[in-house]
Amino acid sequence: MAKKISAMDIYKLLPKTNCKKCGESSCMAFATKLQERKATLDECPILKSPKFEKNRKKLEELLSPPVKEVWFGYEDKKVVLGGEEVMYRYELTFFNPTAIGVDISDNLPEEEIKKRAKFVEDFVFERTGEKLKLDFIALRNASNDPEKFVRALKIIQENTKVPVALCSLNVKSIEKALDVVRSKPMIYGVTEENFSEMMRMLISKKRKDKKEFAVVLSSGNIKTLKGMVKASLQHGIEDLILDPHTTPENIMDTLDRFVMIRRSAIERGDKLLGYPILGLPINTYFYVLKGNNPIKQFVEELDKAAGIMEARTACAMLNRYGDGIIIHGTEVWELMPILALRQAIYTDPRKPQTVEPGLYPIGNPDENSPVIMTTNFSLTFYTVTGDFEKDGVTCWLLVMDTEGKAVDVAVAGGQYCGDNAKRLIEETKIGEKVNHRIIILPGLAAPVRGDIEEKTGWTCVVGTRDSSQVGEFLRKNWNRILEEWRAKQES
Amino acid sequence: MDLDEIFKLMKKVNSIKIDSIEITADEIVINIPTLSPISIPQTPPIKKGIKKIVSPEEPKIEIPEVDWEPPVEKYRGYIREVQLGRPKSEGGRGKVIKIGGQRALYRFEEVQPNPPVVTFDIFDMPMPGLPKPVREYFQDVMEDPVEWAKKCVKEFNADMVTIHHISTDPKIKDTPPKEAAKLMEDLLQAVDVPFVIGGSGDPKKDPLVLEACAQVAEGERCLLASANLDLDYKKVADAAMKYDHNVLSWTIMDPNMARDLNRRLISHGLDGDRIVMDPTTCSLGYGIEFSINAMTRLRLAGLKGDELVNMPMSSGTTNAIGAREAWMVNPEWGDRRYRLPLWEITTGLTMLLCGVDIFMMLHPLSIAVVKEFGKLLVSKPGEIEVSTDNYQWIRA
Repeated sequence: MAKKISAMDIYKLLPKTNCKKCGESSCMAFATKLQERKATLDECPILKSPKFEKNRKKLEELLSPPVKEVWFGYEDKKVVLGGEEVMYRYELTFFNPTAIGVDISDNLPEEEIKKRAKFVEDFVFERTGEKLKLDFIALRNASNDPEKFVRALKIIQENTKVPVALCSLNVKSIEKALDVVRSKPMIYGVTEENFSEMMRMLISKKRKDKKEFAVVLSSGNIKTLKGMVKASLQHGIEDLILDPHTTPENIMDTLDRFVMIRRSAIERGDKLLGYPILGLPINTYFYVLKGNNPIKQFVEELDKAAGIMEARTACAMLNRYGDGIIIHGTEVWELMPILALRQAIYTDPRKPQTVEPGLYPIGNPDENSPVIMTTNFSLTFYTVTGDFEKDGVTCWLLVMDTEGKAVDVAVAGGQYCGDNAKRLIEETKIGEKVNHRIIILPGLAAPVRGDIEEKTGWTCVVGTRDSSQVGEFLRKNWNRILEEWRAKQES
Repeated sequence: MDLDEIFKLMKKVNSIKIDSIEITADEIVINIPTLSPISIPQTPPIKKGIKKIVSPEEPKIEIPEVDWEPPVEKYRGYIREVQLGRPKSEGGRGKVIKIGGQRALYRFEEVQPNPPVVTFDIFDMPMPGLPKPVREYFQDVMEDPVEWAKKCVKEFNADMVTIHHISTDPKIKDTPPKEAAKLMEDLLQAVDVPFVIGGSGDPKKDPLVLEACAQVAEGERCLLASANLDLDYKKVADAAMKYDHNVLSWTIMDPNMARDLNRRLISHGLDGDRIVMDPTTCSLGYGIEFSINAMTRLRLAGLKGDELVNMPMSSGTTNAIGAREAWMVNPEWGDRRYRLPLWEITTGLTMLLCGVDIFMMLHPLSIAVVKEFGKLLVSKPGEIEVSTDNYQWIRA
């Protein structure tokens, strides 16, 4: 791990007035927040004064992450890549989720371009209250014709506001596209072959026409890549992204290069390699589509096999420092695991994924409605409430504080237990809202049923394993359960 | 100093600087030596600089040479190598598998000595809960675990098989340990691959079932699954020591807990080289990040020299199939035939990259993909020839 900056190093450069304008109680508290990247320098108004310019500069330098943050797209709709500080997510957190781009060929007819661009813009897969989306369009110059490239770019821009990567090795194509592009694009790419020519054009566009762009430098050799970075910086091109080549025949070679680049930047302090990394799972897609199908024993359709193998490459890259990826497949079954994995890797381990414990009325429950008890792990909570909503379940949902653990883990770990249930019942006063004393437990909580009954005095019924089956379970059983319970009370 | 002396000196040096001098002469001739002391070294760079400012397009922009060395680490520790199965020469049934043995974290530092291994899950009774995309591969053999094991080996090239004796659960069929052991004998007869022996998850019954099966599999170096803090782990460890097996030490996503259990097993007398750790696999989307953290930390601690956690790791990757996104029929989520295996592949691959050495899996397609990926870990960097052009996708 790179040398860690201490809060004291930061504090020394702050105004030390404890003015509280940043919202913290003291400059030291603010320094701690800055160190944890939970606050930014902009939140300190005093630092903006000319007197503190020097300190601010030093602080910026001190706080800049070893992997530079690079953005492209529109001011109000950006893709941010990089900005990482650690090799392993448990050391701090990973900050900018891997940006996922979907390609569009400039050879497609207008309608198809529109359709695919719209798809990228509108695609959403919802999990745990979060909307998971795709991030950018990789417009590829399949025609190698600058005119067609520009035409396709215009169609995309007129119909969507998705950030765009301009993908062509043809200098003319990129040059012309830069004249009409409305956002800050990602440019793919500068290679060993076109280096001089492409760079010269880009330098001129930047100096003369004041064009802004992020540039992908591409080489399968890390040393060469590092040299390319050096040359780019010398010419004032600083928003860089590295493509160390995605080789479908041996994806482990690619992953090795990803790791070597990231480790050089973070653990060895190599500033010239401290840039975001771009991966190309799309290479795997086309490789399989050409007939190299390693799973033909199970999946014969080439496009389906290509989708599976592409997703596998994408997921490997998400695990190994890919800051941006370009994919071709758009089947929802392919996108789901990629998006779910990204969500998991980039959740902040510093805060457990929880919701507020307590009582949540679902639908319009009354005194005869069932009481169901779940955990405050956000995934569990959103899954359960989502299912209940879909199925029209009406109930009182008790959400127990299990420190953000799922039912099975909380049962094993001892948080989903009688004592906690008792406390929850008392605090929420659920007993005053219903005229029964029955709690429905999730199937996975069956082992602690006895403990909960003993501690709370409520009758526990073990329900279904999955919340999607609760609606059916209640329709079939609730009235009977309630009647049986009442009969028992009377006897 | 007279002039002669000055001239003599001039022959030795190129220039002489004379301070505060008064010359009285009618005529003075100074010969400037042929080697001119006067040069204007600044001129060419200034010229170059001017040229640059005037026309930025002119110079050819080249990629400069830079220094860079692959960032290879030295590790004090190593990962233990655990042997599963026993060769015929030593009285076993044949097939031997080794896992672990790494001395580095990444392949570019040192190629992994053994590829990750996948073991096929089978059950001692039909599993009605298995989703259709899995069932369709095993429907014909689910009534007969022996046939099931044979199919895994013959048709899908299984390296190993995991038998889950779920019918022994007192709440299911309460099959006695003796009967489980009989099935174990039949399975050992039917195929020559090493076995993972699993119970039903009942903490009271499992040690008895594992002990009975361990006895009939004496000398076969199976993996007893599992010893954990909720059951009589000493009984499991005793069975392993008595009948020559390995032990799966299972804990919940907590590296300290894994360390604690390993310490207890070792102090009870079990050889550390007979332990495989299972830090729990949370499925993709259901806490996989906790597993990523736990496994990464364990692997790093092992490589740094902590001999209580430098065991190979196992993953119950099959858990992924229980995730609703994997099994549920939902047209909005696309075809389950691809979605389900991909969910298991993603879970397995993530665990593989965290350092897992042995995978318990269910879907033959997922297994094929994870195995194919695992083979790359034992290939040398650059060994597999690459002919694909990195830029073909642009023009495709």
